[in-house]
Amino acid sequence: METMFELSETHKSFGAVHALSSINLQIAKGERVALIGASGSGKTTLLRLLGAQLAPDRGEVRVLSCNPLGLGEGKLRELRSRLGYLPQDLGIVPNLRVLQNVAAGRCGRRSVLGSLRDLILPAVGVRRRIYELLERVGIEEKMYDRVDTLSGGQQQRVAVARALFQEPAVLLADEPVSAVDPARARDVLELLTRLSAEEGLTLVVSMHQLDLAREFFPRLVGLKHGKVHFDGASSELGSEALSALFQLGDKVADS
Amino acid sequence: MRVPATFWLGKRLVVVAFLGVLLVSGWVLGPRIVQLSAGADPFAEMGRFFGAALSPSLADENPSLPPDARPFLLRLGESLLRTFRYALIAISLAVPAGLALGFLASSAWWPGGMRYGKASVGRTAIRSGLRLLRWACRFLITLGRSIHELVWALFFLSALGDAPIAACVALALPFAGTLGKVFSELIDEQSQEPRSTLMATGASPLQAFLNALLPSAVPEMLTYTVYRFECALRSSAVLGFIGVETVGLGIRQSYESLYYGEVWTQLYALVIVVVGVDTLGARLRGRLNRGATRKSVPELSKLELGRSEALLRRTAPRDWVVRGGLLAGIMLVVISWTNGRELGMDMPADQRDARIGRFLTKLTPAPARPENSTASGPERMEALEGKGGEIKDWAVDLWSRNGAEALLNTVAIATSAIVLAGLGAALLLPVGSRALARGEPFGVLGSASRWVHWWWCGVGFLTRSLFILARAVPEYVYAFLLVGLLGPSAWPLVFALALHNLGILGRLWGEVMENQRPEVPRHWIQSGAGRVQSYCGSLAPLSFNRFLLFFFYRWETCIREATILGMLGISSLGYYVSIAHNWLRYDEMLFYVLLGVAVVFAGDILSDWMRRKLRGEIACS
Repeated sequence: METMFELSETHKSFGAVHALSSINLQIAKGERVALIGASGSGKTTLLRLLGAQLAPDRGEVRVLSCNPLGLGEGKLRELRSRLGYLPQDLGIVPNLRVLQNVAAGRCGRRSVLGSLRDLILPAVGVRRRIYELLERVGIEEKMYDRVDTLSGGQQQRVAVARALFQEPAVLLADEPVSAVDPARARDVLELLTRLSAEEGLTLVVSMHQLDLAREFFPRLVGLKHGKVHFDGASSELGSEALSALFQLGDKVADS
Repeated sequence: MRVPATFWLGKRLVVVAFLGVLLVSGWVLGPRIVQLSAGADPFAEMGRFFGAALSPSLADENPSLPPDARPFLLRLGESLLRTFRYALIAISLAVPAGLALGFLASSAWWPGGMRYGKASVGRTAIRSGLRLLRWACRFLITLGRSIHELVWALFFLSALGDAPIAACVALALPFAGTLGKVFSELIDEQSQEPRSTLMATGASPLQAFLNALLPSAVPEMLTYTVYRFECALRSSAVLGFIGVETVGLGIRQSYESLYYGEVWTQLYALVIVVVGVDTLGARLRGRLNRGATRKSVPELSKLELGRSEALLRRTAPRDWVVRGGLLAGIMLVVISWTNGRELGMDMPADQRDARIGRFLTKLTPAPARPENSTASGPERMEALEGKGGEIKDWAVDLWSRNGAEALLNTVAIATSAIVLAGLGAALLLPVGSRALARGEPFGVLGSASRWVHWWWCGVGFLTRSLFILARAVPEYVYAFLLVGLLGPSAWPLVFALALHNLGILGRLWGEVMENQRPEVPRHWIQSGAGRVQSYCGSLAPLSFNRFLLFFFYRWETCIREATILGMLGISSLGYYVSIAHNWLRYDEMLFYVLLGVAVVFAGDILSDWMRRKLRGEIACS
């Protein structure tokens, strides 16, 4: 099995705060992994390490079997263009149309002029591809609407469509279900798991809802105080390991 | 009850400090507000002037005009059109320049914006080069802004003679500076999330800038441009006071001939035009924020893929009002450039060169002038060489004769004006803000009486109209009229600046309060507090830092304005600028202008520091 991500003894701190310490983790191609943990446990930092957005302080991170530290800017952008990323705030431009937001997904593979063309009006073939994608996420009739006139759930689908249009090898999603009601959370996770299965994507999602994580993800990685607390198939995890994850330790109570 | 010492810290200390500053600057300016010659009765003249407000003239008041002279209203219309035209030309020059400056003054598009690990040497070098470029642009921006358009106009008109393009360029320079500054700030203040998401997925910083940051800033940039056009209209009118044929010239001539009815007609016309543009801007902002929505969704299921995409694109929601408006604006710019009086000057090239040569000679400090007024560049440099000591003596002499005092007066005028304006706005806000001056503030059930409801709506409307009128008339016009009525002291300038800025602060502060989250003030109202109590106890303290932000921004502009208001004959910097201009001593004029630039730079740095500090606090809270 091809390894997509490999972290060995990785540390990352921001000033005096140790966000992650001695992380060892391997994620294979096609896996669906949920990173779970309380807020402040280092989920977002780990995702950003996987996305080659942050460099580790110590230890090695291998992304798609290369070490981003050795890469020049061009190679680094090429690597990032294969990593789909869904930030918590979605990162869509509210006063642009859905089409333009989705088309921006492939900036990494375009020249500056090409991405300008995508911003103004993409070529016919590109527009059809985007239409198909929007059909798959279920908002094709919104293709030419401004994003800020869409509902929150529809906006999330715009972000998903943008990530798919990028044609990435992996999809990293930061707390996609933290701010939505339970029914919609289920919807979003169904969409993400279905699409990544269809495209053969590796899916890594950070979240804090245990029940949903167990339902949708075969593998769970629990983080606590910046360390891997457990890592295994969701069916094998006992309830005491899970409940320990969210227990407030002394460290947290102090801060 | 004993008041603890800490009571006077924080916001209260700031307010008390401002009052102290007002007292000190008032003391500098002296106690005499009315300064007329002994026999004059200011009240009779004022009565006559304000009485004429109710009977504006529709025809010439001058009885001795020849019968074939152009009628007053026709002349007024022409001068309004010219005012409009020059403002449009100036804005069409300033916007591209402002865009370029704003782009170069922002760091968001620099390469290496999302580095991984250590940056390479090449990137570091490029970034430090760009940093240098950015500082150069910021310097240009501040320089353009720090010299008032009137002063630019004095220079250009002296150098080039009476050509409209000189006036337009003079208007465009400070406006390009302001637009550049605001554009770069708007770009930097947009949400960074879309930009960093694009970069996280492989886009270069320039691509992320063009595809995410810039588009999200465009609506605000557009509305700000409309606002700047409104300012350009006012400034274009003011250029009339130094002889450019805009509405200001007519106001000045009518006032000096004591035809007060004509003055009021022209004032009303100017106010109507300015308020019209203001309203257009507000409409545009509303429409851009709302965005067009689709009226009906076409039936897509029966169509094949390409057809349904094309159908969606054809029926895409578009705001035709905004598009039409933008098109009309561009058409108007084109018309302004191509129609009407020749913009350039009609003068042979050698005559023009001689004129510019003479101007440059007079601009050189007196001790270092070349013998020959048509000297070439190298000859001028040669004449300058070795004259450092003499130039220094010349400058020190000017400084100790008038410069220092004029500088102090300028700062005192600006400071007392802005504190007065702030006081006025703070007192008027509870009755003027849309948030409070209504029957049921924050949706809390109010009095059952319809009359109470109408009363509050009426009071709010009237106060806001007062704000609009106060800011629609340029401060220079107020100052001109007030100096005429009260005599030549510094106080008419203070009142003029204060009145205009009252209108601006009233609007800006009112908007801050409307954008405030309603929970806290609503809670106050719900628990039985009155409007004023809720304002003093919740809205004002919550908005305090943002109030200060705008206060310092306006203080900075006040300093710029105060330097030129002196041209009306009061010993601030502008007075000596205009005297030197009248005597054709352009070198001295340049000296006083540069003094003004120094003050504005200092004020800029101070208020920038203040704003950054306050913005940090706002971000934290």
